[in-house]
Amino acid sequence: MISRIKLGVVYFVALALHQSLFVSLRIGDVHPQVMLLLAVAAGLLAGPEEGALVGFGAGLLADLFVQTPLGLSALTFALVGFVVGSIQSGIIHSAWWIGPVTALVASVAGIVLYGLTGAVVGQAHFVTPRLAVTAAGVGVMNALIALPVMRAMSWALVPRSERAYAR
Amino acid sequence: MAVYRRTARPRFTLLLLVLTAITLLTLDERSHGMGFVDTARDAARDGFAPVQDAANTAFRPVIDFFQGAFHYGDVEAENARLRQQLADQEAGGMRAADAEREREKLLDLSGLDFVGDVPTVAARVVETPASGFDLTLELDRGRDAGVARGMPVVSGGGLVGQVIDVSRRRATVRLITDASSNVGVRLASTGDIGVAAGRGAGSKLRVDLIDPATKVDKGEAVVTSGLQNSDFPPGIPVGKVVAATSSTDALQQDVTIEPTVDFRHLEFVKVLQRAPGG
Repeated sequence: MISRIKLGVVYFVALALHQSLFVSLRIGDVHPQVMLLLAVAAGLLAGPEEGALVGFGAGLLADLFVQTPLGLSALTFALVGFVVGSIQSGIIHSAWWIGPVTALVASVAGIVLYGLTGAVVGQAHFVTPRLAVTAAGVGVMNALIALPVMRAMSWALVPRSERAYAR
Repeated sequence: MAVYRRTARPRFTLLLLVLTAITLLTLDERSHGMGFVDTARDAARDGFAPVQDAANTAFRPVIDFFQGAFHYGDVEAENARLRQQLADQEAGGMRAADAEREREKLLDLSGLDFVGDVPTVAARVVETPASGFDLTLELDRGRDAGVARGMPVVSGGGLVGQVIDVSRRRATVRLITDASSNVGVRLASTGDIGVAAGRGAGSKLRVDLIDPATKVDKGEAVVTSGLQNSDFPPGIPVGKVVAATSSTDALQQDVTIEPTVDFRHLEFVKVLQRAPGG
């Protein structure tokens, strides 16, 4: 129960940051996607099921504030969280750079998946040559802010005695 | 690091989430701007508006610093352009005054005094596009201020877009550069009618349906056509022609225009209180 409350706090703070700060930190019309990063962090820290659940919630929240189809981010972020969670069990977590590198790769994959899924549900204009630029840009920016997001997600999901990113 | 992980049927959980997401996508598609999806979106935006406003205020110094640091090149280029413009104007002297009179006449002729007597609502832009796939702006005025779905939105530079969603305290504006945006336009010099279609972030607009025989000059103004039942009143500046090519057997010219509005630096806009087709 405490964990869910903490997760709610993380969602709230992340959404407030995303809707005000991060959407303004643009380079070439690309900005960080912190809600996607929540899914990546949850998958990395707590496994596929938690990654999918947190990703779905974060995506649904993000969907409420954009005009793209409701459920598109939820679907994409849940899949990203699940895949990251499924792969993470084979990763040695001691290195500090695992989080940023995972954020980079998973964010690129997540944005491409978002574009492709969007095209499937009628948003054909999502798939343009610019999609690759957007994905790469989001990947790099998410990698840069990955460590604090990992810490926040670790605070919410991981028992104190087992935290690595909370040091 | 020890890993905290649930192992109970993660695939089944994912399946449920995917099915839920597909259900939401279907409901959203079928609601066509009505129903619980829009109610939920309106409630979320209205409920979160005070938090967003407070966060915007709190982070303003950080945002300004970032934009100053990473868009220094743009500022420098704009500065150089303005210096050049000022030098041209000073050198022009009387010619500039004449040109200004001519410009005013042309504006009158073309109806570029675009707001006219249409009532307007001034609004602040509180959110730039929150996704690279969704070129919309969020305004701090909504139904309570008289904003309604379909109303055109303009700035000093010209047409910004159209209100596509509105809640009590917020309105969402689809930019004319969005790939789903189509605006009826005419060329200011010849009066030829076309449709300016958005092509997404970072891209210029494409104007379709311009006759291949029409002479289209680079830099020519393109304004809204305001034809019957149009969503936009006539004469609002949309863009300037940057390229126009035509092949002998083509049915139309390939005309590209650059929007007159700088969408990256919009702070305030005006919503024209005019119903679509009104």
